[in-house]
Amino acid sequence: MNLQTQNSNIAVMDADSHLEARNIHVWFKERHVLSDVSLHFPTNSVTALIGPSGCGKSTFIRTLNRMHELIPGAGLAGSIYLDNEDIYAPGVDPVSIRLRVGMVFQKPNPFPTMTIKGNVLAGLRLNNRRIRDEDSLVESCLNRASIWNEVKDRLDAPAGSLSGGQQQRLCIARSLAMSPEVLLMDEPCSALDPGSTRRIEETIRELSADMTIVIVTHNMQQAQRVSDQTAFFLAEEGQPGHVVEFGPTDNLFSSPNDPRTEDYVNGRFG
Amino acid sequence: MNTRQVAKGDRAFFAVSTAAAMFTMFLVLAVLVFLSIKSWSTFSQQGLAFVTGSTWDNTTEQGTFQIWPMLVGTIVVSILGLIIAVPASIAVAFFIEFMAPPKVARIATSLVDLLAALPSVVVGIWGIFVLSPVAATWSQSLSGTLSFIPFFRNEFSNAEGAPFIAAWTIAVMIIPIITSVSREVMGRVDKDLISAATALGSTSFSNMRRIVVPTAKSGILGGILLGLGRALGETVAIFFVLNLVFEVNLFRPLEPKGGNVASLIIAKFGEATPEELNALMAAGVVLFVMTLIVNMIATSIVQRSERRMAS
Amino acid sequence: MSQYSVESLERPLDVTPWKKRSPNFRYIIIATALIPILVSFAASTVLEISGAGILLIVFLPLQLSAAAIAAVVTRGRRGVADSQLNVLVYFATFFVVIMLGSIIFSIISWGLKAVSPHFIYQNNVYITPTTSLEYGGAGHALIGSLLVVGLATLIAVPLGLAVAVYLTETRGRFKGPVRFLAQSMSGLPSIVAGLFVYALFIATGTVNLAGWLGSLALALLMLPTVVRMSEEVLKLVPGDLRSAALALGAPQRRTFFQVIMPTAKAGLITAILLGVARVVGETAPLLLTTRLMSETSVNPFYGDLATLPTFIFSNLTAGFDTGRARAWAAAFLLLAVVGLIFGATRALTSQKVK
Repeated sequence: MNLQTQNSNIAVMDADSHLEARNIHVWFKERHVLSDVSLHFPTNSVTALIGPSGCGKSTFIRTLNRMHELIPGAGLAGSIYLDNEDIYAPGVDPVSIRLRVGMVFQKPNPFPTMTIKGNVLAGLRLNNRRIRDEDSLVESCLNRASIWNEVKDRLDAPAGSLSGGQQQRLCIARSLAMSPEVLLMDEPCSALDPGSTRRIEETIRELSADMTIVIVTHNMQQAQRVSDQTAFFLAEEGQPGHVVEFGPTDNLFSSPNDPRTEDYVNGRFG
Repeated sequence: MNTRQVAKGDRAFFAVSTAAAMFTMFLVLAVLVFLSIKSWSTFSQQGLAFVTGSTWDNTTEQGTFQIWPMLVGTIVVSILGLIIAVPASIAVAFFIEFMAPPKVARIATSLVDLLAALPSVVVGIWGIFVLSPVAATWSQSLSGTLSFIPFFRNEFSNAEGAPFIAAWTIAVMIIPIITSVSREVMGRVDKDLISAATALGSTSFSNMRRIVVPTAKSGILGGILLGLGRALGETVAIFFVLNLVFEVNLFRPLEPKGGNVASLIIAKFGEATPEELNALMAAGVVLFVMTLIVNMIATSIVQRSERRMAS
Repeated sequence: MSQYSVESLERPLDVTPWKKRSPNFRYIIIATALIPILVSFAASTVLEISGAGILLIVFLPLQLSAAAIAAVVTRGRRGVADSQLNVLVYFATFFVVIMLGSIIFSIISWGLKAVSPHFIYQNNVYITPTTSLEYGGAGHALIGSLLVVGLATLIAVPLGLAVAVYLTETRGRFKGPVRFLAQSMSGLPSIVAGLFVYALFIATGTVNLAGWLGSLALALLMLPTVVRMSEEVLKLVPGDLRSAALALGAPQRRTFFQVIMPTAKAGLITAILLGVARVVGETAPLLLTTRLMSETSVNPFYGDLATLPTFIFSNLTAGFDTGRARAWAAAFLLLAVVGLIFGATRALTSQKVK
C-alpha cells in the first residue's frame, strides 16, 4: 500500500538503517490512529519518540515487533524493514521477529512466581532453548542491565521481592538474554523514581553500543540525555497521529524546524 | 426522626440480617443433623454393613439395607464423567478466553451458560432417547474391538444402562460448571505477563503451558471438584439411563449394571416400607456427607485461589 | 490551522498483512483441511465403526498430523505445539457444541410434534395413557410449577437478600463461616433437600404431601445462588454512594433501601431470576414432596399438585408412546420457560450497561 504524503520535515532515508518504517498507517477497527509514519533507525543508535499522550507512539513501536496484530481490530498499512527484509511479508513468523526485536514495557512485569535467575532465563525457557552455561549468561545480562551487584547474592529470590526500579532492570536483563538486535522501550522509566531512572538511562547509553534502541518517552530531558535522534509525534483532536519532525536530537531541541515542535519542547503544551 | 428511633430502626435492620445469616448457617447443620436422627434406627440396626454390604431386602421384618454397590456406582460414574468432562471443559475455557475473537467468545459463553441451565430432567429425557442408543453403539464398538482388555469387556447382549452411558450424561451436566470456573480463573491471569512472554518470542502453546496453567492450576482444580460434587448428587438424569443392580460393578463400565445412591432413593421411594424409608434417608445422609466434603474442599480451594490472584 | 490538518482515511479492505499466506502455503492449508475429512468419509463407508468412532480414531489423528505438517512447513518446528493445541481445542469445543445442539434440537423437534396451543392450557383430567395427543395437555403442570416456584422464590429471596446484607453491610463476626457455608450449600444434592423436607414434615405425620413442601425444598436449593449473587451485586455498589448517604445523616437502613437497593436493582433481579432458573426444572425434591394429579389445582397448600418436572417424570416412567410424546412436549415447555428467564436476565444486564 502506498499512502505517501510529502513532508519536508522528515530527514532523508538512510541507506544503512538497521530498522526502517515506511508509510505506516494504523487503524483500530474503523478509526485511523496513525498516519503515514516513516522513520529509520540506524544501527546501534538510540532514537527517542516524544509527544503528548495518546498520539500513537506506543501503538507505533508495537508495529515494530509485530505485537500490534495481537490487538483485536488492528489494521496496518505500509512496510517495516529489518535488515532490508519486510517483517510483514507473507510467511514470516512473528515469533522470529520478536526474537530479534525485544521489548521492555512501561510497567515492570517480571514473572512473579519465578526467581531472579529464572526471569533472566525465561525467554530461553519459553522457547525451549538450552544453552550450556546458564550462569554466565545470567551474570552477563544482569551486569549489562546494571543490576548484578544488587542481586548477585540472591539469584534464587522471587522476582516480586525487588523494588520497582530493580524489577525494570530485571526486565531489561530478561530481554537482553535473547540477544536482540533491536530493543524497544515503551516509557520504561515513567513508573520509577529519579534514581532508578538515572540508572536506566546510563544503561541505555551502554547498551546502544551493541543494539539499536527505540525509546518512547514523555520526558524531554530524558530524550535529550539518551538519544541520538528524536521523532516528535502529534495528534490533533479527531485526527490520526503523525510525525511532525524527525532528526538529530540536538537539532530538534535547539532549533526545531516546525513551530509545533518548538512549542512542545519548550513546554507550551503537552 | 430522633436519634433513638433511628438507632432502633438500624438495630432492627442489623438484627434481621444477622438472624437470617445465623438461620442459614443453622440450616445446613439442621439438614445433616435431622436426617441423621431420622435414620438413626437404620444405622444402628444395619451397622457398618450399611455401607459395606450389598443386599437390599425389604421383605423381612427388620429388612436388610446395604448400599455399597450404590456407593461404588456413584463414584465410578462420577469419575468416568469427570474423565470425559475435564479435558473438554478446559479446552473450551481456553478457547473462549484466549483463542476466540470477542464475538465468538461471547456466543460460546452464552451457550455454556445455557447448557448449565438445562434442568436435569431435560438432560435425562435426551439421555434416554438420544444419547443412550448412540453411546450404546460406541460401547459395542469398544467391547467388540478391545475385549482383550478386561476393562472394556461386555458379556451381555446390550449396552444400554451401563455406567459408560451414565458417565456421558453426567459429563454433559458438569461441563458447564468446570468450564465457567476455568474460564474465570484463566481470565484472571495477568495480561501483562502474557505480553511479556509474547514479546520474548513465546508461542501460544508455550504461553499456556508456562504461564496460564501454572497460575490457573488451583482454580481449575477447584472447578473440577465442584463438578465432582454436582456429579455425586445428580439424580434424575442418571435414573433414566442407568440400570440399577445390587452388584458391585467396578471394573466393567460397559456392562449394563450400575449403582447410584441418588437414583436408588428415587427408585425405591414410591413404595418403600417404613424401615426402607429410614434406610433411604440414611442413604441420603451418606450422600450429603460425601457431597458436603467435596464441596467444602472445592470452595476453600476456589476461594483461596481468588484471594491469591487479588493480591 | 488547516495547513497542519492530517487527513483521516477510511480503513481500506486489506490492512491485515499478518493474515496473508503465500501461494504455496495456501495449497498446504487447503490440503490440511480437506485430506482428513475426505479420508474420514472414505473410512466411514468402508469400515463398520460408528460415526463418533471414525471421528476419534481416524479423523482426529489425521487432522493432528496434517496440522503438524502444515505448521512445520509454514513456521518451522516451533509451530507444531501450537497446531496441536489448536486442533484439540477446536475439536473439544466442537464436541461440546454438538452435544448442546443435539439436546436443544431433539427437544424442539420432538416437543413441537406434540405441542399445540391447547397443550399449554389444558390439563389431563380425562386423559388415559392411550388417548390421542389432540386432547389433554400440561396446563395444570405449568400452573403448578409456577405456583411452587413462585412460593419458593417468596421464601428464598427475602432470606437470601438478608444474608447478603449481613455479608456486605454489617460488621458481623461470622461473615467468613456464613459465606463459606452458603457456598458449600450450593452443592446440596436436590434429592437430599427433598428428603430433609420430607423427613421434617411428612414423615413426622404432621402434614401430607403438598405443593408448599416442594417450595420449601426448592427454596433451600435457591438460597445459595441468591445469597452469592446478591452479595456480589451489593459489593459492586460504590462505597462513595454509601459514604455520601451516611454523611448526609441517613440511617443505615434508609441508606440501604433508598440508595443501595435501587442502584443494585437490576443485578439483584438477575440474581433472583438465575436462582429461579436453577430450580424450575428440579425434579427430585418434588417427587418426594408432592403428588401428581391430572386436575388443575391452584392451591399449593393442600392436596395434590402437578408440576412440569413431575409430569415429565411420570409420563416417561409410564412408558406409553403418547405419554412419551407428552413428556417431550412438556420438556419443550420447560425449556421455553428457562429460555424466557434467561432472555429476561440478558435484557436486564444489557439495559444496565446502557
